[in-house]
Amino acid sequence: MAKPPPCFGLPGRIRNIIHKAVCASVYLFLVAPILVIIPLSFNAEPYFTFTPGMLTFDPEAFSTRWYRDIWDNEQWLRAIRNSFFIGISAAVIATTLGTVAALGLSQASMPYRTAIMAVLLSPMIVPVIITAAGLYFFYSGIGLSQTFPGLILAHATLGAPFVVITVTATLSGFDRSLTRASASMGATPAYTFFHIIAPLIAPGVISGGLFAFIISFDEVVAVLFLSGTEQRTIPRQMWSGIRESISPTILAVATLLILVSVMLLLTLEVLRRRNERMRGIGI
Amino acid sequence: MTGPAVRFERVQKSYDGETLVVKDLNLSIPHGEFLTLLGPSGSGKSTCLMMLAGFESATGGKIYLNEESINRVPPHKRNIGMVFQNYALFPHKTVAENLAYPLKVRKLGKTDIEAKVARALDRVQLKRFGNRRPAMLSGGQQQRVAVARALIFDPEIVLMDEPLGALDKQLREQMQYEIKDIHENLGVTVVYVTHDQTEALTMSNRIAVFNDGVIQQLAPPLDLYEKPENAFVAGFIGENNQLRGLVKSARGGECVVQLHDGSLVTARCVNVAGAGSATTLSLRPERVEINPPDGKHPNRFEGRVEQLLYLGDHMRIRVSLCGHDDFIVKVPNASMHPGLNAGNSMTFGWAPENCRALEG
Amino acid sequence: MTTISTSAGMTIDDDGRALKAKFARAERARQIKAAGLVAPLLAFVLITFVVPIGLMMYRSVDDPVAVRAIPRTLELLNHWSPDSAPPEAVFKVLGEELLSARESGDLGKLATRLNYDVPGTRSTLMRTARAMRRGPAEGRSHRDLFETIDPKWRGGEILAGLKSLNSPYTRSYYLAAADLTTNLYGDIVAKPPHQRIYVSLFVKTLWVSLLVTALCILLAYPVAYQMATLPAATANLLMILVLLPFWTSLLVRTTAWIVLLQSNGVLNDLLVATGILGDEGRIQMIYNMFGTVVAMTHILLPFMVLPLYSVMKTIPPNYLRAAESMGAPPARAWLDIYLPLTLPGAGAGSILVFILCIGYYITPELVGGRTGQLISSAIAYHMQSSLNWGLAAALGTLLLVGVLALYWLYNRIAGVDSLRMGG
Ligand SMILES: Nc1ncnc2c1ncn2[C@@H]1O[C@H](COP(=O)(O)OP(=O)(O)O)[C@@H](O)[C@H]1O
Ligand SMILES: [Mg+2]
Repeated sequence: MAKPPPCFGLPGRIRNIIHKAVCASVYLFLVAPILVIIPLSFNAEPYFTFTPGMLTFDPEAFSTRWYRDIWDNEQWLRAIRNSFFIGISAAVIATTLGTVAALGLSQASMPYRTAIMAVLLSPMIVPVIITAAGLYFFYSGIGLSQTFPGLILAHATLGAPFVVITVTATLSGFDRSLTRASASMGATPAYTFFHIIAPLIAPGVISGGLFAFIISFDEVVAVLFLSGTEQRTIPRQMWSGIRESISPTILAVATLLILVSVMLLLTLEVLRRRNERMRGIGI
Repeated sequence: MTGPAVRFERVQKSYDGETLVVKDLNLSIPHGEFLTLLGPSGSGKSTCLMMLAGFESATGGKIYLNEESINRVPPHKRNIGMVFQNYALFPHKTVAENLAYPLKVRKLGKTDIEAKVARALDRVQLKRFGNRRPAMLSGGQQQRVAVARALIFDPEIVLMDEPLGALDKQLREQMQYEIKDIHENLGVTVVYVTHDQTEALTMSNRIAVFNDGVIQQLAPPLDLYEKPENAFVAGFIGENNQLRGLVKSARGGECVVQLHDGSLVTARCVNVAGAGSATTLSLRPERVEINPPDGKHPNRFEGRVEQLLYLGDHMRIRVSLCGHDDFIVKVPNASMHPGLNAGNSMTFGWAPENCRALEG
Repeated sequence: MTTISTSAGMTIDDDGRALKAKFARAERARQIKAAGLVAPLLAFVLITFVVPIGLMMYRSVDDPVAVRAIPRTLELLNHWSPDSAPPEAVFKVLGEELLSARESGDLGKLATRLNYDVPGTRSTLMRTARAMRRGPAEGRSHRDLFETIDPKWRGGEILAGLKSLNSPYTRSYYLAAADLTTNLYGDIVAKPPHQRIYVSLFVKTLWVSLLVTALCILLAYPVAYQMATLPAATANLLMILVLLPFWTSLLVRTTAWIVLLQSNGVLNDLLVATGILGDEGRIQMIYNMFGTVVAMTHILLPFMVLPLYSVMKTIPPNYLRAAESMGAPPARAWLDIYLPLTLPGAGAGSILVFILCIGYYITPELVGGRTGQLISSAIAYHMQSSLNWGLAAALGTLLLVGVLALYWLYNRIAGVDSLRMGG
């Protein structure tokens, strides 16, 4: 049981109840808006609120028409394809470069480590609108605006810091005597990398890659500035939907996206546990 | 094979380019020897081992394996087995896979590997544990796997860096015997690092006592205990009374030393410069006799018993003597003396050959 | 090899120079190996991030068009003071240069550029250039011609505006970003009150960010405390409640708030249905500042919970027990011991939330309506609608400088390594 924070003069039980109530409201604040979307996406009427029929659980009041809408709408389908294409490509680039960099950054002999780390992580800190504005000028000079490669590179830049962070964190828990043990048994550095280091840091690398993917998958500012109609992604399509007052189709899309994030979250949790178990008590 | 298995020649090591953590190390290790590097923490023992294994490069000097310089040979080509303090078992591989690893690296055939792994598991009594992950083994079992893994590819030399440091006392003693057994059965050369003197004394053929990056003395356990060559070794190995004074005269391997309170002690010259030089007398507490018969020893002093500590098989007595109030005497419980009570004055004596006059 | 001979000859008594040199060489080899691994990403980030942003910053001072299009006019204007009547030669040369600028295509850029500093003059310049093909009628001065084409040429404002473009670099975008301008004589003066936009927008952005940060601390503290004191298994479950919004698409979360808060939305319906509000009395909770603050707090809250939680988890409960055993009442022990120990986490979380908030674009733009937009919306507006890229770049640079200063502060307080987002 959680120890309640002291509230002056109040007996512990009441403190405890107040604390729990406050926490419960914060969790509600965090999760309720997201959960509200899900039933509304099955609304039979084109409204953004619960109809009387929905409240009485009248089956007539529910439908999957907005999901069929997505399926029938070439724009949404293309946005979905684009999002996965751009997201996966950007994640592959970010994961490759980020993992290699993390391997260097976690060596004691890395010069100017803090400064370089600060530069590598800055795309995560600098407002995306500034990055997007910079890229807008840069790309128009070299013919990359409104192209897939342009967007993929931009998203790889935004995602790489997350890979660097995740993989350096994994490596910082990596026991160096394992590589030494491997070498003492005659394994070349390459053999050691593929048989000892790679399997042990794989969970970290995969989480980093998922991070990079979701960053791209969810990104809209750079897309607004750098894409043409050909490169529209799901968030970009939702952006238009929200702005141009719209059909509840975006609620259906939103529900699907929530499903995606739940799956990602579960995957990450599984990876984290697996990682802990693997290196666990072994030492 | 002739010549030593390992030879360090004027080896130096610095981690920061400023200070030497190993200074001018010269050391030969014959084939089949069990050599222990013993010393306080931070004295450079692990560094020496790491240089021999190839994980640290020697800043100066050369290291020879079978009389061939290995300064430029990478670790994985040295064919030296190693047991790490935390065992360094691969957490994602089972015990059997851990054992098979060096054999796979060497591209042995599958049946060969299986046979060797089975034999190794048998040797360390872990037959049933081949399919477990290291995390599911106890500390002692992990330790055995680590030893077995370091030996399975038949290296000529095995290095062990405080391999028993993480085990409790009982297990540690048991493992000492097992490692000693393996050494005697296989005849490998073992270089063993520890800061535990009992461990070093029970296991080794020879011990190199390290302090501050320098070997203070290299000798078999018995010599190290009975004949320490300097004050550090005398103080580090076993318990020891150290009395400082000036050499009055020296003749025929014996000298007379005046302590600060004026008392004169006859001692055996080990490495003192001669009359007038400063010296530290080293005297084992168990070599002091209580109430010795008149004339048995030239060294006879009155002392006041300050404190008695009962330690089961023996008694530890703190005495004020010759101007020191922390002079320690150990007597077996069997030979209890009447009148041995705190506050009493008694006579203490010792033979000159048990009292070594050391430099400094 | 030389190393072998020196190592053999080296002794401990050497003054350490040989040792140092040898050591430095080995160290350098290791450094190069590590740096080689980092190099690809560093190069990538330099090319796709640092250089583009540098280019953007350059654009905020870059001003080449007048120097290219009307060099001789600028030369003449250099000697002219706005107090005196401009010499005839100025109009003559300007006329010629406008004509050639029209042919080279620079005219439009020049007119647009002048329009930023002297509003309403774009058409004047375009019209004048078009008329220049004919030249002045017999016996009339060029100046007359200009003034008949557009009376705006009379005041000297346009010429003063052109005169201020006499350098390839300009500060005028930054002046504009600070709601300043220059008068006829080139002195910096405040803009007329109705044109002052950006200073108050910056101030509003800072206030909103502070408010959101404060709300995040208030909401995150009890939650982080609860998770830190619960058994790990329960805490992990609750953590999912924090991480779920974190991993949910931003657009989804923003949509959710619109659905909840709009006047025909779930919350208003609920209030009406329960009789708290009349159907006429629905509250406007979105498309204004309230909407921005609520949605931003929701989005940034996880960034506060995570660092607070990780700090709190490391505080052993024995500290509080020790304080209480020494006679401190629980509240006192908590204030004296627990709170100070959580400050690093709260500090790191606050800076992070604040940084992320001042540069946020999507949510304020979508739910902020007219009153709830922040500085980023102004940047986007000038990038995409007004196409005043110089001003967008100047606003962006100012924002960037603020963010980088805070980032530096964050690194001083918490260190880059602690920068973990939801990992
Ligand atoms: N990787 C390293 N980098 C810098 N200094 C080190 C490193 N390893 C050991 N040292 C230093 O070298 C000295 C000797 O260390 P070590 O060989 O580990 O001693 P021991 O094993 O005898 O305890 C110590 O002062 C230690 O701080
Ligand atoms: Mg050591």
